[in-house]
Amino acid sequence: MRKKTVLDLKVGESGIVKSFDNLDYASKLLTMGILPNSKITVIRKSPFGDALYLQLDGQKMAIRNAEGLAILLED
Amino acid sequence: MTGQREQIKVALVGNPNSGKSSLFNVLTGLRQTVSNFPGVTVDKKIGAALLPNGSKVKVIDLPGLYSLHPNSSDEKLVVNVLTNPDDGNYPELIVYVADATNLERHLLLATQIIDLQIPMIFALNMIDIIESNNQTIDTPSLSDYLQIPVVPLSGRNGTNIDTLKSKISEFINEGKNKFIKETALYQPPEKLNGFLEKIGNLTSATNTYHSKILGHHYEWLNHLSDQKRNTIQSEIAQNGFEDLKNQIDETMSRYADFGPIAKKVIRKNQEENISKTDKIDSIITHRVIGPLIFFAIMFFVFQAIYAWSETPMDWIDQLFGFAGGFVQNLLPEAWYTDLIVEGIIAGLGGILVFIPQITILFLLISILEETGYMSRAVFMFDGLMQRFGLNGRSIVSLVSSGACAIPAIMATRTISSWKERLNTILVSPLISCSARIPVYTVLIAFVVPKEEVFGIFNLQGIAFMGLYLLGIVGALTAALVFKYILDVKKDKSYLMIELPQYKPPIWKNAFLNVKEKVMTFVVEAGKVILVISIILWFLSSYGPSNAMENAEKEATAYLELNQLTDLEEENYRASKKIEASYAGHLGKFIEPAIKPLGFDWKMGIALITSFAAREVFVGTMATIYSVGSADDEATVSERMAAEIHPVTGDKVYTPATALSLLIFYVFAMQCMSTLAVVKRETKSWKWPIVQFVFMGFMAYFGSLITYQLMS
Repeated sequence: MRKKTVLDLKVGESGIVKSFDNLDYASKLLTMGILPNSKITVIRKSPFGDALYLQLDGQKMAIRNAEGLAILLED
Repeated sequence: MTGQREQIKVALVGNPNSGKSSLFNVLTGLRQTVSNFPGVTVDKKIGAALLPNGSKVKVIDLPGLYSLHPNSSDEKLVVNVLTNPDDGNYPELIVYVADATNLERHLLLATQIIDLQIPMIFALNMIDIIESNNQTIDTPSLSDYLQIPVVPLSGRNGTNIDTLKSKISEFINEGKNKFIKETALYQPPEKLNGFLEKIGNLTSATNTYHSKILGHHYEWLNHLSDQKRNTIQSEIAQNGFEDLKNQIDETMSRYADFGPIAKKVIRKNQEENISKTDKIDSIITHRVIGPLIFFAIMFFVFQAIYAWSETPMDWIDQLFGFAGGFVQNLLPEAWYTDLIVEGIIAGLGGILVFIPQITILFLLISILEETGYMSRAVFMFDGLMQRFGLNGRSIVSLVSSGACAIPAIMATRTISSWKERLNTILVSPLISCSARIPVYTVLIAFVVPKEEVFGIFNLQGIAFMGLYLLGIVGALTAALVFKYILDVKKDKSYLMIELPQYKPPIWKNAFLNVKEKVMTFVVEAGKVILVISIILWFLSSYGPSNAMENAEKEATAYLELNQLTDLEEENYRASKKIEASYAGHLGKFIEPAIKPLGFDWKMGIALITSFAAREVFVGTMATIYSVGSADDEATVSERMAAEIHPVTGDKVYTPATALSLLIFYVFAMQCMSTLAVVKRETKSWKWPIVQFVFMGFMAYFGSLITYQLMS
């Protein structure tokens, strides 16, 4: 079964981070404050659909789709 | 060490967007200088802060970073400095700047540095925003946890800056004990103990955590010898030390530890109302409206650069014209007068005339950065730019190049992937800059009839736009080619960008930022431009053996036979002299090479002299064709139209020639200022040479094809 990632969230939906499936991205994402149990909301997609505008616990950030794919969410 | 104590070094460290630069500006005022860290193009800002007791400390603003496990080269620089007590920039004291509105994330790096046991004051910045949100701060809980002094302050409005300064005095007077935490906040897993101890023995690591950082990053830490690197590497293999996994474990364990503290220190408001930033962003980053707004802003920037810089540029031009005339009258007629007037003063004028454009562009860009807009543009265009081997941030540089490639290249520093940055630097000058305008004007007037199509569109205007489009297409095509040549994909590149809250710009920051960049341009690029101007002056003023005197005599003989006005006489002499000069010989020398493009030796001279700067073309053509003032662009094109080939009797300037010349000027790298800046930004002559060659190649073959098809 495919794991649920941030990319599966529709605009406006939220999810809780479970873990990461790419060590390199994980180390960077953690540094930026994306942690297991953080709540992530997808606010919107970029004009060309290749990046996500996220809201998490008081801060906003943008990540590429590939980076979002590495963030696994609770089902 | 009994006499005057050496000034201590205080480093500002913190995440990007922590308000570090504002705090630096508040602490140091105008007493700051910018230099480079050795071997890298990362600006080092140093200033002096005056303490309450009248003594001074040296303040260093280190680049922002998120963690001691860094991404980009300027972040790595900070880790290099902080892990090497022998480094010239190693601070005696760190002022750690944290954004109180997002304390949890900002604590990560702070706890790492505390574990390196470098003395630290924790500056809890942006309390003005906390207070205006009616949130409360529990400073004692934080200082209990970190066991170092915590100062809540605001770099924006100056709150508690005095408290910070007296804490620094306290450090100087009472020693470092109160500023260091004895026991580490993070204990590495026990199974790493043996490994870390070995690294500690091998290196001069000051404690266990220091050893751990050396173990993670030995590959690029510049203060480790190759021998130590090899030993660390074999230790890592023997002990099965997993770099990324241990980084992640450390980060998670730190967050788990300080997470509850962070929530206790800053109490969040219960109701999360939709902030102003959310409202603004729902329009500014909208999928359709967002890009439109971006282009509207860029259009405005572009217009402002043209409209607002015209007058000051005229002043600078006039000032240097006046200074040249003044010196010419003051000094006797001699070679050194020519050198000063035509070489040095004209060369200096050529540099300084760009100051208004650079100032306006950087002012507007730094306002866009200060307010937080720039990271939105990066978010919107990152994907598109990546397809061309560029980065989201490249789009800012590409648009800026429409005014001048120099500030555009300087603006690429924000791109963290080196290859994406290099690609941006290489292709930016292909976008038509303002210096091409005079050339385009002369040549378009020559080839394109002054007609209107459909009653509204000016045909010449359309041709003008076409040349700009050609430049844009050229830049993107070149970027696509370099994407593969440089293997841009191989460089790890991340977006992961913070989108900070919108804030009104701090004018002082914007002003200092602009001042710094303008000064850098004048000093660094200025040195190279001055030298080349002098060489060009020499080449066009002197000729082999007594060629110049002969030319002078011939001209005198000719003028005695023909009745000409004073102005015509002067022009005739000038044109004879340039033909006899080294530049004239060079023109004739390159004629065979440029003949297939439809150019003769006279245009060859113009090509050579406009290497200094494109706008020189019109002036050189005016001199060669002996038409009075270079400002009179109409006369230049009339004179060109009448030029007849001495042997064949055909017209020299056909539309094919002019079009070929236009294409040449669209693509050719004819701006030594840009080359000088590329050299500075890439720290090597390799890239300016590559750029000169590939753009020259595009220009040559572009012209060749155009001319051969047209004639």
